[in-house]
Amino acid sequence: MSSRVCKTCGCTDIDIDQARGNAVCMGCGSVLEDNIIVSEVTFVENSGGGSSAVGQFVASDGTGKTPVLGSGFHTTLGKESRAQTLLNGKRQINHLGHQLQLNQHCLDTAFNFFKMAVCKHLTRGRKMAHVVAACLYLVCRTEGTPHMLLDLSDLLQVNVYILGRTFLLLARELCINAPAIDPCLYIPRFAHMLEFGEKNHEVSMTALRLLQRMKRDWMHTGRRPSGLCGAALLVAARMHEFRRTVKEVISVVKVCEATLRKRLTEFEDTPTSQLTIDEFMRVDLEQECDPPSFTAGQRKLRLQQLEHELAKKIDEVQGEICSYQDEIELELESSRPKLKGPYASYAREDSSDDSVSVASGLPGNEDDADEELKAAAQQLTKDFYSELMPGAGEASRAEEGSEAESEQVVLPRYPPLASLLGPLPTAASLGLSESIQKCITEKDVDGNSENGELDLKGIDDDEIERYILNEKEVKIKTELWMQQNADYLKEQKEKEERIAKEKELGIYKEQKPKRPPKKREPIRASTAGEAIEKMLEQKKISSKINYDVLRDLDKKGSSPGAQPEETPSSPGGRKLSGRRKRNMAALGLGNPISSVGKRLRPLISAHVGKKPASSQQAAKASAAVVTAETSQPVVVESGPVVYEDAMEEEEEEEEEPCVSAMQLMGGNDYGCDVDDDDGL
Amino acid sequence: MKIDCVCTSWYASVRTLRPDSLMEANNDVALDIIITNVVSVFRTRCHLNLRTIALEGSNVIYKPEVGKVLMKLRKPRITASIWSSGKIICTGATSEEEAKLGARRLARCLQKLGFKVKFTAFKVVNVLAVCTMPFHIHLIQFTKNNRPIASYEPELHPAASYRIKNLKATVQVFSTGSITVTGPNVRHVAMAVEQIYPLLFECKSTMR
Repeated sequence: MSSRVCKTCGCTDIDIDQARGNAVCMGCGSVLEDNIIVSEVTFVENSGGGSSAVGQFVASDGTGKTPVLGSGFHTTLGKESRAQTLLNGKRQINHLGHQLQLNQHCLDTAFNFFKMAVCKHLTRGRKMAHVVAACLYLVCRTEGTPHMLLDLSDLLQVNVYILGRTFLLLARELCINAPAIDPCLYIPRFAHMLEFGEKNHEVSMTALRLLQRMKRDWMHTGRRPSGLCGAALLVAARMHEFRRTVKEVISVVKVCEATLRKRLTEFEDTPTSQLTIDEFMRVDLEQECDPPSFTAGQRKLRLQQLEHELAKKIDEVQGEICSYQDEIELELESSRPKLKGPYASYAREDSSDDSVSVASGLPGNEDDADEELKAAAQQLTKDFYSELMPGAGEASRAEEGSEAESEQVVLPRYPPLASLLGPLPTAASLGLSESIQKCITEKDVDGNSENGELDLKGIDDDEIERYILNEKEVKIKTELWMQQNADYLKEQKEKEERIAKEKELGIYKEQKPKRPPKKREPIRASTAGEAIEKMLEQKKISSKINYDVLRDLDKKGSSPGAQPEETPSSPGGRKLSGRRKRNMAALGLGNPISSVGKRLRPLISAHVGKKPASSQQAAKASAAVVTAETSQPVVVESGPVVYEDAMEEEEEEEEEPCVSAMQLMGGNDYGCDVDDDDGL
Repeated sequence: MKIDCVCTSWYASVRTLRPDSLMEANNDVALDIIITNVVSVFRTRCHLNLRTIALEGSNVIYKPEVGKVLMKLRKPRITASIWSSGKIICTGATSEEEAKLGARRLARCLQKLGFKVKFTAFKVVNVLAVCTMPFHIHLIQFTKNNRPIASYEPELHPAASYRIKNLKATVQVFSTGSITVTGPNVRHVAMAVEQIYPLLFECKSTMR
């Protein structure tokens, strides 16, 4: 408080006791002030006997909306959203952490991670349980506890990959580098679960040695650590004469049997497996092994080579087989009555197709659908045909043995085979030319897209015709499709009927897909003026607000006459009051003003939908700044009066309670500003 | 032989991807980047009746619940998802040119079915390529060296994933030395391989 002069003795030495609320002159002892109103933290006693501080915590960022007590907000009364989230998260972390037997230090660290996540808005759009689990797992990784992500997913009954995704995101956003998992960490835990009794320690040590050996033999990169642990423990158990079956181990370690067997066979392939138990405990082999995937790759290579050789041999044999085949056919043909005329060509074509398929079938069987080889074989045989056609008279190593007929049918045969051969070379040659063109000139592709014209180069219409079914086929397909999708069609019909009915009744609501609410960045401004400007930019311009007033708000000594240029408000004061409230909050006005705002809100809610009240609030707010400096309550009254609206009478009526509030404020008597939000 | 021509043109296009720096560094070794999948989108600027396509096309699958038709072409082996709005996504091509050819073929096919299609806004959206290093890679060391960019979670996936932000490409590194690269186009994929090769070389293990 400002040092004042004592009235009785003129002494300036005044002692102010905050606890008692007295201002006492040190010279004469007269009490100058009694019951000073102080703005300090006050405490209130709870029902349980403890005391808690009065007031609320408001976040420094964003909206700071305070929830209404009347609508009942479960156990956390009247706290704002952020505090609720944190409390909820803490509860869940503790609950989950106790199930995992984590110590308090870990739980606290996890809660810190959670707080950071909430600050960065990473909890939005995600299930709280996932975020909590990710925080806990992060702690487990950084502390090196033997907890797996699988454990967490077991507890939560959530897919482990979903948890993994959340965990990775969290680690990335919080810039926390979780150290890589060492399978050795899991050994003691699994050993304990397998119940080795007294020899637990020895078995664990053996398993650890095995695991280290595995690491050096390159078995552990890219594999789940739990699988390796399982294999190591199984072998260690057997070494110490414990009969642990594969099933027991996999139930503990949570991998499947196939994985375990695979790891065991891989280990078997290493030279270490050849050592006896004693040797293993004593000696450590120098030589490192190749990773199992490498040996598998080598094996594949060898297989492929074998296949190639086989294929070559088959090609050689193929020709012979075909010639035998054709000779047989020749014989058959000669014994059969000969066909003449156009139909002969079709018969020939069928037989040619058959021989193609037989020829291609052979390599196909061997190479397990090696398509390239098939295509090559087909191409080979077709090329033989093309060679045949110009040289029809020659009796060479012909695929088509029936040359006696060939002269007759050479001409009609041209078109079908040409179409068979056609697409392959034409597409190839055009493809080539296209790519060459692109290399040489910078082809303007944009021109094409702007026109929207379909460039028909390189597209063979005939081939595309084949993709389209003819009428009979369409009918058949339609029937089939209708049968198959009968359920779906029924559903659609019902839906349409429902919509039609609703339309008749007039209830029909068109369900638009929910659009996510636009996220707004919190306004960061150094001065109030900047904040106002930024807020104005963000929010849509409305005709109901007098922007000049808003801009002038932080300027001191603005003339009161400038204020009430507010346009007459049309109905919709409710919205207005909401906006004003927000304006008030965002404006970042000083504390007294905000408390005044709080004060005025109960009044506004009382006069619901009365626009003048809301407009008055702004006027009050604007006036408040002025009055704080100039302390002229008269100004306030003049404000509303200037309204051109015919609602002036109502305003004047409402003025009186409002005016009294202003007078209170004028008297600096806002000390009892405790739980004013109740009025909302 | 005609098929040889096709093959060489394809190999030629693949070989152009070989990073130049590698040719200098290892004289013996040259990396072959094999493109396995190219995804592209285009618009037909006209509404398509999916039922007509489903009933009159010969290799189509209609999914009414999702609202799209899958159409498979044999020639450039591609699968296209067709929506009624006219947006089409083509997958399965093995090069950018092939993707464009396939897309045009598809549009031609739709044209024949009676729709007034226009071929607009063709764009290659994603390219997936695989490449094999001539050495094995120590993933844990690799992750340590490239801390925030690389991430390795053996419980979830056996590969370490490395995201290159400026190229918008992701490289998945396996311990056997094979890597898969996904990027918005072929050039970016090649650049990504060039960028990651020295990092992988540092963490190589003495195998192979």
